[in-house]
Formats: sequence, C-alpha cells, structure tokens
Amino acid sequence: MRVNKAQFEAMFPPGTEGGRRTIIRAVDVKKVYRMGAIETQALRGVTVDIYEGEYLSIMGPSGSGKSTLFNMIGGLAKPTAGKVYIDQVDIAQLDHNELAWLRCRKIGYVFQTYNLIRVMTCLENVMLPMSFAGLDSEEAREKAMYILKLVGLAHRPLHKPGELSGGQQQRCALARALANSPDIVLADEPTANLDQHTGEEMIELFATLRDELGVTIISATHDLKMLKRSDRILWIEDGQIVRAAHPKDVDFSSGDFH
Amino acid sequence: MTASVIRKQVRLPVSVAFGVVMQGIRIRLGRSIVTLMGVMLGIAFLMSILTGQTVRQGVGRETAARIELGRMMSFLTAEIGPVSERTLGVVAVGPLNDPERRLVARLRELGAAGLQWSGAVPAEYPAGWIKPVAAGEVGVGTAAVLVMGEGRVPGLDWGTVMTNAAEKVVATTRKALAVPAAGGMAVTSLEREWQPDEVEARELGARRLAFRTIWIIVISLLVTVIGIANAMLMSVTERFREIGTMKCLGALSAFIRQVFFIEASLLGVTGSVVGCLVGYGFAVLAYSLTYGFDLVGAALSMPQMAMHMLLCTVAGVVLSVVAAIYPAGVASRMMPADALRSTV
Repeated sequence: MRVNKAQFEAMFPPGTEGGRRTIIRAVDVKKVYRMGAIETQALRGVTVDIYEGEYLSIMGPSGSGKSTLFNMIGGLAKPTAGKVYIDQVDIAQLDHNELAWLRCRKIGYVFQTYNLIRVMTCLENVMLPMSFAGLDSEEAREKAMYILKLVGLAHRPLHKPGELSGGQQQRCALARALANSPDIVLADEPTANLDQHTGEEMIELFATLRDELGVTIISATHDLKMLKRSDRILWIEDGQIVRAAHPKDVDFSSGDFH
Repeated sequence: MTASVIRKQVRLPVSVAFGVVMQGIRIRLGRSIVTLMGVMLGIAFLMSILTGQTVRQGVGRETAARIELGRMMSFLTAEIGPVSERTLGVVAVGPLNDPERRLVARLRELGAAGLQWSGAVPAEYPAGWIKPVAAGEVGVGTAAVLVMGEGRVPGLDWGTVMTNAAEKVVATTRKALAVPAAGGMAVTSLEREWQPDEVEARELGARRLAFRTIWIIVISLLVTVIGIANAMLMSVTERFREIGTMKCLGALSAFIRQVFFIEASLLGVTGSVVGCLVGYGFAVLAYSLTYGFDLVGAALSMPQMAMHMLLCTVAGVVLSVVAAIYPAGVASRMMPADALRSTV
C-alpha cells in the first residue's frame, strides 16, 4: 500500500515536538468487543503520539484497556473507530498479508512468558522471523549470531529454550524481536517473570538497544525500575489515557503513580 | 519526511514449513504417535477387510473347485468304474481350464496307467505317462475317451471312437463341447448344470456381503477421520501460543495451514504403510488359523496385495488430509494477539 504523501504531510507536519519523528500515532481510537448481546468498550477514544527512539511505558490495571491499546499499537488488532498509524501507515487499510509483513519487519515482540518456540534452538528461534522475511539461511545464521552476541547470548546458540534460564530465554526472545531490524520493539511485561537482578539486566539491555540502534521501545509494565528508566509513562484507566508524565516528575515513593 | 511503503509478506518455500513440522513431530512425539495410531488402526482395519475378502473369495473358489472335481470324478467312475491301472483317451481341442487340469492331475494321482493324448500336450506331465496319438486313433486300448479344452470339437468319426473304448464312453468336461451322439449311445457330460434359482441365491448372497463390507468400511473410515481430527485439534489447542507467536513474527495464515497439512500427510503416509502391513499380517494369520496355511496361501496373490496396499495408503493420506482441514482452519484463523495472553 502506498501512502498519499501530500495527505500524509498535512497530518504529520515535519518539525513538530522538537523535530522528533512520530512513529506511531493513535487518533481517537475506540475498540468495542461484542460477546453476544453484551458490548464492552475496551478503549473510549485514545489519542497519543509515540516518537522515534522513545522508551515509553504504559501502565494500567487489568481490564483498563492497556492490552487492547498495546495490541493496536503493535498491529495485532484493528480499531473499531479512529485511526492507528504505524510508521505513517493506517493499519486499518492493510490486508492480513500486509499486516504480516508489517509485524515481520517493523515491529519486534517481547512477551511476558518469552514465547520461544520450544522445539527450536535459540539460534533457530532468532532465525525464524528472518526466514519469514525471506532471508536465506546462511545470511540469517550470520545475522542471528551477531544479534545473539549483542544481547549477550552468543555462548549458547544451540540450546533449546528449556535448557536456558529465564533471563537467557528473555534475551533470546529480545534477539528474536530484533531479527529483522524493526523500528519498534513492543514488550509486554518483559520483566514480570524475571528475578530482580535479571530484570535489571534486561532493562539495561533495552536502554542500550534504544541508545545504540535507535529503536522505539514500548512496554506495558509495572516494574518500578523499568518505569524510572523510561522517557515517558502513560496511565490508562477505563479505556482512556488519564495521565502522561516523565518519570522525574513522578513521585514513586507515594502511592499516586498507581 | 518520506512516506513508507508496506509490501506483501513473501510466501515461504515449503521446505521451511517442512522443517517446522519435522521439529514439531520430533518434540511432540507422544501426540504424534497418538495421531499415527489413529491412522494406523483405521488403515489396518481397511487392509484386513480387503485381504480377508480376497482370502474368503479365494478359499471359496478353491473349495468349490475341489467339490466340482470330486463330483466329476464320481460321474466318471460311475460310468467306467475305478480308473487305476487303466488307460484313458483324451481329445484336447484347445487350452485346458483349471477344472480340467485338476481332473488330469487327479487321474494320475489315482494311478491311471496313462493317457492317450490327441492335441497339444501339457508340459507338466511326464512324457511316458502321456502318449501323443493322432486324432483319428484315439480310443483304441482305452477305457473311455474324454473331450476337453477351449475350442471346437473336431469332425471325427465319434461312433468308432466310442466303440473303440472298452467301456463305450465318451465324456465331455464342458457343456459347450458338442460331441454328436452316435449309434444310440449318449455322450456323458461331466460339467455341472447350475439351476437358475441356485445362481440367483448365489448372486444375492454376494450382493449382501458386498453391501455389508462397504458399510463396515465406510463407518470405520469415518471413525478414523474423526479420531484424527480430534487428535489434531488437541494439538492446535496445545500450540495456541506457539501459533500466535509465529503470526506475531510474520507468519502468514497460509503458512500455518501448510504446517498442519504437511504434518497430516506425513503422519498419513507413515500410519498407512504401517497399518497396511499390520492389517495384512493380522488378516493372513487369522484366516490361516481358520482355513489352514496352504488354502490361504493359494488364495493370496501378490499383484492384488500390492493394489490393496496402494489403495489403503492413498486412502490413509486422503483421510488424514481431510481430517486436518478443520484443525488447520482453526489454527490459521487464530489471532496473533493470542500469543500475548499469559494463560492458555
């Protein structure tokens, strides 16, 4: 799908927000789930801009619509009303084939439960998105090894996920997310299943990747350390963004950040 | 700022899906074996029914032939008395059929002194026992003359032939061999005459059996399909998150479908081949214990077994793929967001 350039530039005037490029824009996004006769409003009009190279954290209690927004931003679901632009493309306009392409190359996913394919080795897991992108296996192997080195897992490429510790599995999952050099890494509670120390290492790794590769990192998290490290925190409640702030403006010691 | 372009996701070569399938089968060996057993049992059942049918038909034919031979022999001995130490004349008008060959063999078993043979001599008897003679000389020194074979009766002087034979008997093995009666003496026919109601009863029995067999086959194959579909559906549920994850990583629905169909055909081929051998072995063993090994051995034929195996293997693969249609559809329609759910 080709984007109408004139129309686009009218919507995204260059130089806004201190010259930072908007990589994801959600405009009045609404999402309604229908379960038989019952309608559930998961999102009631969310508008947000996410900038390139930003480290954004999204907070919210369960049932707040956090996951729905997360799925929308990640191109996993389409909004009922409103628009979601990922890298300037309206995802509602894409067919499933184009969405698959988008998910394969533009976005990397890191899951709370790692979600490594357990029948494959660490290296094969990292190579899988590359093979989906049509890379030949020699090229993919070389690139996968490079990324594994980047996340500090170059010494265990041929181990199955079951033979790795939680921290190592999450590093592998992050390497897989980075396989096709995405612009955006989407992380769903990436440290929730890790112990304190390993979680901190993971957070540092995210920060390093953001600084060195310039990837945008969006995570849903309740991890204090992760929140403090991020550039911006969004609070979602009842399907709406109720607050957005930089961590330095948030008093983490009081209960108000919840 | 430049607007970006979204392209279509590439379709992967089948080898990638194949690799995923092979790894999946290796790791989930238990589940794969359950599915495999489903295919195997269904196909083993089909194969044993087909083999059983072949054996029963063969045994039936063999039994009928043995009864027919006994009857022909008793007709003959009723006319001429015991055949041992006696010479018989044969006018072979063409190639012999199975009952005729059996008759000749039986005459030798019963100790007939020899045969005067007019016509093409079968190779399987010792030259001393069969003495070729010219067509006109058949009958001299024999107890009786048999006319057999596929062909037309030659224009001999049948009256002389008949009187030359000691017992004054000319017998034909087929109704179709029309030997003219001469000098008021009747030509004996050894072939059994089937009554119309006998033929009708036989055909009705065969039709009833065929219907019952088809019914059993259809039901058992349906059960097999449902069994395989159920096992595969379970494996889809088991792989919920894995499939969702693959979709998050950019797998197309078609790729997911492909994975399931390849897995189904692989399990189908393996299960069918094993099932064929198991079913064949079981049927042969079971029928051998019932009818005896030699009778069953005589009833079986290699080309027919190969045909049945081919048929069963094709059936097994088709059934597995048919059974995979629904589970593969469920898997490919799965939303990638399901991968994010922490509980499945």
